[in-house]
Amino acid sequence: MQVFSVTRLLALVLLLGTAQAALAQAPYPAKPVRFIIGFPPGGTNDIVGRLVAPKLSEFLGQQVVVENRGGANTAIASEMFVRMPPDGYTIMMNAPGHATNPSLLKLNFDSVNDFAFITLLAESQNLLVVHPSLPVRSVKELIALSKKRPGDINYGSSGIGTTVHLSAELFQFMTGIKWVHIPYKGGGPGLVALLSGEVSLYFGNVPTVIRQARDGKLRAIATTGAKRTSAAPDIPTVAEAGVPGYEVSTFYGMSAPAKTPRTIIDRLHRDTVRALNAPDVRERLQGLGADPVGNTPEQYTLFMKNEIAKWAKVIKAAGIKGE
Amino acid sequence: MNPDWRNNRDLIAGLLFIVLGGLAVVLARDYPFGTTIRMGPGYFPTVLGFILLLFGVTVLARGIRSGEKVKGEWGWKPLALIALSIVLFGALLDRVGMIPAAVAAIVVAAAAGREFRLKEALILAVVMTALSVAVFIYGLKLPYPLLGGYY
Amino acid sequence: MDFLGNLALGFGVAFSLQNLAYCFAGVALGTLIGVLPGVGPLVTIAMLFPITFHLPAIPAIIMLAGIFYGAQYGGSTTSILVNLPGETASAVTCIDGYQMARQGRAGPALATAALASFFAGCVGTLLIALAGPTLGEWALKFGAAEYTALMLMALVASAVMTQGDALKGLAMVVVGLLIGVVGVDVNSGMARYSFGIPELVDGIGFTVVAVGLFAVAEIVSNLESREPRDVYTGKVTGLMPSARDIKDAAWPTVRGTAVGACFGVLPGSGPAISSFATYMLEKKIARDPSRFGRGAIEGVAAPEAANNAAAQTAFIPMLTLGIPATATMALMLAALTLQGIATGPQVMLEKPELFWGLVASMWIGNCLLVVLNLPLVGLWVKLLTVPYRWLFPSIILFCCIGNYSVNNNPFDVYLCAVIGVLGYVLVKLECEPAPLLLGYVLGPLLEENLRRALLIARGDPTVFFTRPLSAVFMIATVLIFVVMVLPAARRMRRRT
Repeated sequence: MQVFSVTRLLALVLLLGTAQAALAQAPYPAKPVRFIIGFPPGGTNDIVGRLVAPKLSEFLGQQVVVENRGGANTAIASEMFVRMPPDGYTIMMNAPGHATNPSLLKLNFDSVNDFAFITLLAESQNLLVVHPSLPVRSVKELIALSKKRPGDINYGSSGIGTTVHLSAELFQFMTGIKWVHIPYKGGGPGLVALLSGEVSLYFGNVPTVIRQARDGKLRAIATTGAKRTSAAPDIPTVAEAGVPGYEVSTFYGMSAPAKTPRTIIDRLHRDTVRALNAPDVRERLQGLGADPVGNTPEQYTLFMKNEIAKWAKVIKAAGIKGE
Repeated sequence: MNPDWRNNRDLIAGLLFIVLGGLAVVLARDYPFGTTIRMGPGYFPTVLGFILLLFGVTVLARGIRSGEKVKGEWGWKPLALIALSIVLFGALLDRVGMIPAAVAAIVVAAAAGREFRLKEALILAVVMTALSVAVFIYGLKLPYPLLGGYY
Repeated sequence: MDFLGNLALGFGVAFSLQNLAYCFAGVALGTLIGVLPGVGPLVTIAMLFPITFHLPAIPAIIMLAGIFYGAQYGGSTTSILVNLPGETASAVTCIDGYQMARQGRAGPALATAALASFFAGCVGTLLIALAGPTLGEWALKFGAAEYTALMLMALVASAVMTQGDALKGLAMVVVGLLIGVVGVDVNSGMARYSFGIPELVDGIGFTVVAVGLFAVAEIVSNLESREPRDVYTGKVTGLMPSARDIKDAAWPTVRGTAVGACFGVLPGSGPAISSFATYMLEKKIARDPSRFGRGAIEGVAAPEAANNAAAQTAFIPMLTLGIPATATMALMLAALTLQGIATGPQVMLEKPELFWGLVASMWIGNCLLVVLNLPLVGLWVKLLTVPYRWLFPSIILFCCIGNYSVNNNPFDVYLCAVIGVLGYVLVKLECEPAPLLLGYVLGPLLEENLRRALLIARGDPTVFFTRPLSAVFMIATVLIFVVMVLPAARRMRRRT
């Protein structure tokens, strides 16, 4: 009985082995692709992933299965991801946390060299809004007032190390002014605090604050992107309005483990860009305040290196500590 | 003093609270304490740890006085088997897939029961595994392999 | 106001045969998945959420509303049947609901829960339609100082939660507070008690705590004795509540609804606190408080009503301010955004058919919930006649899958086993899990807001007394403390 089951098991292993070998010879993609998202279901990252996945499946001719592995701002997912075989059957979504984690946490992987970056899927930006009780209408007035009242103005954020927080830190870093950071747990409570005037300033994601700004409950000052946002083309960017070189983007990117063959990267890149150009995907992404990008692997790699370097500087200057 | 301290309900509870509270205080020494006006990350847990210590000592003292026993017997065997079943599920799902993980979890958990029969447990395992595969893998599309690992 | 006209518009939108079918499908799916032990409402909604992706906006929201109510009620069902809360709010339902089930009164408990929820849901829907924006503004009156005072009040009152020993109950609250500390500190960004394990940086999840503390501990307690004993009495007395039950449950339902509707508006903490608060209230004003914890029907009706009323009014900040109050709400907001519905102050004016359609579909979701679940009560009760030796391994399996699916990480499953061991030991020592859970929920909120209030006031502690709302809560806290301590002190004096 015992011997029998062992031989059966052996046979099964052999069978699986040959099946694996057969797969290896078949042209890519020969089986479903896992798309790992470093957040639990429901967040913007998850939604962007679930928007792109079905279209990408269509073009790849294989199912792209979204898999959530949340925790530590994508670091937990990354740690597992970099150990995956570089065969194109596992890809991952990168978020701003990917660029800030190296400066905040002790990581067991290399945020640049352990990844083969495929393309930037989409970018969204933050909108600097103030409570109407703060007597400023432009970036210049805000800087002037902050210089007159150092350490007096409170700004809220959705947590330490988030782009909401870092947008404000970069602003202070580049202008030499000093605000007081009041962190909240998540964007919801942070926004309530801004609406009630508990904090005077907030760098909110465009779709979450644009309504209240339109409604007069908040005053929009400037956006953080390199270009004006399509959602509110009348609002200037921070860079235009007086802080040249200032740029913060909340990005959604796609990468494979390092050493994934170039042919597979190119295939994934081509089909992902096609998916991003599909009208319904484009429209829904814009509804989330995210503009589809779809740049080349080289451009995306450079972008990521720059982001990591930029945040390392800001985080060090602001004295933010993670672990 | 009650000689049979092993089953003294409040004495054990008090000890447990003291250990937990003490642990909280000791570990919190690594975090900046701050002041009452500007509390650091260590302030709150340290204070809580001391409060728990205090509760623990009071409960312990009461246990020594009353000597009340734990009701019933300790179910170490079922506890170990249930915990093992949960751990097995977690360890196996990643490595060998959903079906073996579910079967192992059910069989080991069932072994914690009083009237354990292997045959019955196996039937239960087959039925529940089929049900959970149908609901979670096919119905809700959870991305776990049925057989075979991730790595 | 043309309130009736608006409501008519809403029902006109929602009341097509197709939309009703979607709503019903949503309720059915939500209930069936939510009823699996260890699969709470948040997980249920997250799992089912992709189904609505490909529907047009209105059917999608209506189906989501159905899923939402189904999932919530499914969570309450597992609380009553197997002592496993799906979310914090239903932890309170476990206390008396599970005892009723063991006494063969699972039917009345489930039916009462459904009816109390339905009543609260109707009131909640009316409130949203009539006073949504006003109530939304109320949420803005709560700053860090108010939250701190409110949390303190809840903590002091928590001693009422405990069934037996108040001292150990309070100690359990502190243990819960400490478990809540694990993870990144909101104010400093520092990871505490994480032992260098990255998974612990985000803190310990609710499902992990609930499954370990409630399900595992309960199952092991049932298995510990060598001679077989029945977990559930074989005798089932009636599927529906009796006239006496309805009379007993009526006022608690009304009070629970009121408490829940008020707290639900507060972002972040409302729904969870409301069910604890209403339970404490009922126990305090009951003629015979000792019945609580032994299967008092008020202990099911009041928190369930509060829970559902709060779930309903939790939509208010989302709809009028565009702010999600809870994780579940954030998920719903994401779903709405994906459907191209920007929530916020303007949605009522810009897209009245959507706003009122949603309000109407909430009511319909509630209604279909009762329609679906009252007949199902018989089935759930039947489930308890399945031999326990088949039932408990299945519960364990579902708990494992539910826990694993939150982050797809085995670590959560391991942690659950550890908490389960702790939970069992605590149960044996007659330390109750409900106060621990209260502490676990309140702890982070209390610390966060206390430190935030002082930070904003630049270290001036009088802020808790100079802000009127905060001062009211502070005074109430002191009063509650005195009311609770006095009788105990008097007893002590008499004894000496």
